[in-house]
Amino acid sequence: MALLNDQIRDQVSEMLVDLPNVVRLVMFKKAEDCPYCSIIEELITEVASTSDRVTVEVYDIEHDKEQVAAYGIDKAPVIAIVGAKDYGLRFFGIPANYEFSTLLHGIQVAGAGEPAQLDAATKSFLAGLNKPVHYEVFVTPTCPYCPGAAVLAFDMAVHSDYVKADVVEAGEFPDLAGRYNVMGVPLNVLNHTQRVEGRAPAQMIVDAIKASL
Amino acid sequence: MFEFKIDDSGQQQAPSGGLYDLAIVGAGPAGLSAAIYASRDGIKTLVFDKSSAGGLAATTDWIENYPGFPEGISGPDLMDRMQKQAERFGAELLEFEEVTQIEPVSKGHLRVHTASAEVFDAKMVLLALGSHPKKLNVPGEEEYYGRGVSYCATCDGPLFRDKDVVIVGAGNSGLQEGLNVLNYARSVTFIEFLPYSIAEKILQERTMNHPKSTFYFNHMLTEIKGDAVVTGVVMKNRETGAVVELPCDGVFIYVGYTPDTRFLEGLVEMNKWGYIKTDAQMWTGVEGLMAIGDVRASNLAQVTVAVADGTKAAIAAREYLAELEV
Ligand SMILES: Cc1cc2nc3c(=O)[nH]c(=O)nc-3n(C[C@H](O)[C@H](O)[C@H](O)COP(=O)(O)OP(=O)(O)OC[C@H]3O[C@@H](n4cnc5c(N)ncnc54)[C@H](O)[C@@H]3O)c2cc1C
Repeated sequence: MALLNDQIRDQVSEMLVDLPNVVRLVMFKKAEDCPYCSIIEELITEVASTSDRVTVEVYDIEHDKEQVAAYGIDKAPVIAIVGAKDYGLRFFGIPANYEFSTLLHGIQVAGAGEPAQLDAATKSFLAGLNKPVHYEVFVTPTCPYCPGAAVLAFDMAVHSDYVKADVVEAGEFPDLAGRYNVMGVPLNVLNHTQRVEGRAPAQMIVDAIKASL
Repeated sequence: MFEFKIDDSGQQQAPSGGLYDLAIVGAGPAGLSAAIYASRDGIKTLVFDKSSAGGLAATTDWIENYPGFPEGISGPDLMDRMQKQAERFGAELLEFEEVTQIEPVSKGHLRVHTASAEVFDAKMVLLALGSHPKKLNVPGEEEYYGRGVSYCATCDGPLFRDKDVVIVGAGNSGLQEGLNVLNYARSVTFIEFLPYSIAEKILQERTMNHPKSTFYFNHMLTEIKGDAVVTGVVMKNRETGAVVELPCDGVFIYVGYTPDTRFLEGLVEMNKWGYIKTDAQMWTGVEGLMAIGDVRASNLAQVTVAVADGTKAAIAAREYLAELEV
């Protein structure tokens, strides 16, 4: 049975049919201990089937070393959302429930090559960046506030070559979540040191980035 | 097992602006129901929410008593549907925009100020502000917020798989959300101030008969302890005074709700808990200003009641707007 019902499929198609650039969903799976790998693959295949502008590639984190290195992948399952270039958009785990919106947002902004919603002050801060920023957002699929936090990370990553955005479904990566003591979502972590809890306005994230550099 | 939802909050449309017939503050069940009725009636409607749309009802795992869903429906799902229904009829929704002031200008003209210093004009305003979870105000609560202390089990419950969890408050919300946490956690301990639970019988039966649950009645939580994260709670037996320490990984707090109406002080009349007083038709006494749903004094906090309030207010709005015309 299809994962997406007809109504959702139509909506997805409408959102993705006119993307300026083709978007490649590059998935890395692993053979063991990955209960959702096949669902994720099925999901992105269904998403890609709604638009000629979206394609799917699937690799194995153990075997496809060349791609693993090219996309800088350290854990699976993950979807790299790649537009005209690799903006550094990654979704770790299953983009289900509310997080499906995050995936679609990632595809849209990667396809457009520009963020959906960044204010002028944030853009000018990003334009002045000269050091890498690793922007991680921890989410759960059932959290209504989480996509709001995640899409900001994707928007910033599309706007700046220095920002890489990882959205992580915390339930599937307990080790990483444990390392950061993720016990509430959304949680934003900047350069592994600065934490911002909740769906924060762009200015708070900018301040946390500054503090992390 | 999985659902795939589309929520457009990341790419929300800018409001069309101009003079609105109706501005609604709060996109919970009350505000969205009013928006459905009003916009379907051709009333130019703008809905604000300081968070994402859905209100409190979107933070509950499962709603079993909303008519029309014999198996029950997830709170987020129900609210998602209400939002879509309102938008389908043309209601404009502005999420993550907090209303900070309502300024009466003249009959048929209220000005709505927001936290991002924007100003919107409307002929009429509905306050559908709802309420938010109360804090316990015990040591450790603030310090460990996001590090084991949470007010949303639907959001954070999945992070406590195989962990020991405490739920403070054994009322309807605490037990309802406790049932959800019982799906993930290794154990759930309920701590209740009163000697009994005031929750619906069906919720009491389901939680109390659960093999992973323990109940402490007549106990007051006094402290949340931790190092980097929560490690335990301290509670006091209210009868004997005995102090009990209980190790745990997470604390979910469900000790009631309180409205956020301070910005309306001096404008509308409130009861001592901050709930807005209205007449039987839900008017606040300020020209063009009504209050609906949980934020209204002495109202029953249920989705059906909020929905009914929203319906009645939208119909009153139609009449009020028509009168302004003549
Ligand atoms: C855990 C839990 C379980 C529940 N279970 C049930 C159940 O099974 N059945 C049932 O019928 N009811 C249930 N309820 C109660 C139900 O959720 C509420 O009665 C209902 O949500 C009230 O609707 P409302 O629209 O009045 O307010 P709310 O749902 O609280 O919505 C108010 C909205 O206003 C927004 N807001 C507040 N102030 C501002 C401002 N200044 N500017 C902009 N926006 C603002 C808030 O962000 C919020 O989104 C439950 C509640 C909880 C917490």
